[in-house]
Amino acid sequence: MLFETALAIGMIFSAVFAIYLKETVGAVLSLSTMMILLSVLYFYLDSPFVAIFQLALGSGTAAIFLLAGDTLTKKNDEKTSAKTVLVGIVVSAFLSIPVMLGNIFTESLIEPLQLSLSSALWDLRSIDVLAQGLVVLTAALGVVFLLKEERRRK
Amino acid sequence: MDYIILSVTLLAIGIVGLVTKHDLIKMLIAIEMITAASIMNFVVFGSLLDNSVGQAFSILFLSVDACVTAVALALAIAIFKKFNVRDVRELSELEDEETKEPTVEAK
Repeated sequence: MLFETALAIGMIFSAVFAIYLKETVGAVLSLSTMMILLSVLYFYLDSPFVAIFQLALGSGTAAIFLLAGDTLTKKNDEKTSAKTVLVGIVVSAFLSIPVMLGNIFTESLIEPLQLSLSSALWDLRSIDVLAQGLVVLTAALGVVFLLKEERRRK
Repeated sequence: MDYIILSVTLLAIGIVGLVTKHDLIKMLIAIEMITAASIMNFVVFGSLLDNSVGQAFSILFLSVDACVTAVALALAIAIFKKFNVRDVRELSELEDEETKEPTVEAK
């Protein structure tokens, strides 16, 4: 209970700083910290596959993409003032109160399906796992066309 | 601690960031946060209901989210190379209706 609450408070603090820090590198690092804490929470909830995915894609790949985007579109970031940091801490502390105190009744009447992850992946949604590969390829093609267009214009 | 409250809080922080920030990279960070909050619901409910379908769909959403980030960043880079701006307000052409000229000019 204490561990979960500490994780949640850490996530809220890093989420607020990811939005309110003026330096983009600091904001991306805050977002990455939030994603790492989220993947620890997933490990705690007995969902290790999603935790690994979250760690690899949410924390690693997204952070690298965002940092690369920031480097390629460089602008002079303003420095975050001490006042902004203080306001961020106060806002985070205020937003952490419901997480520490709140409790919502969430008893479900749905019967569990009793599926293992592999059967849920391959028996239940085998077609859209294939479509997922198509989505990734389409995204890669989109990125290539977007950046190739620029090169052709130059 | 209730996970729904945490999810709603993260969603609210992401939406506030998306509405108040005008930098393209910051907006992407806010979108990442909104997606993480929504994926968290799938994992939490899947875990609480002892159901692996939540995990299976979370994996799909995480990979699609990475694709969305890649395409959005490519768009941001293309916009920066063409107009040399990162602020979405400077991309708006609606401000100069009288002169009928775009706010920013292509290089």
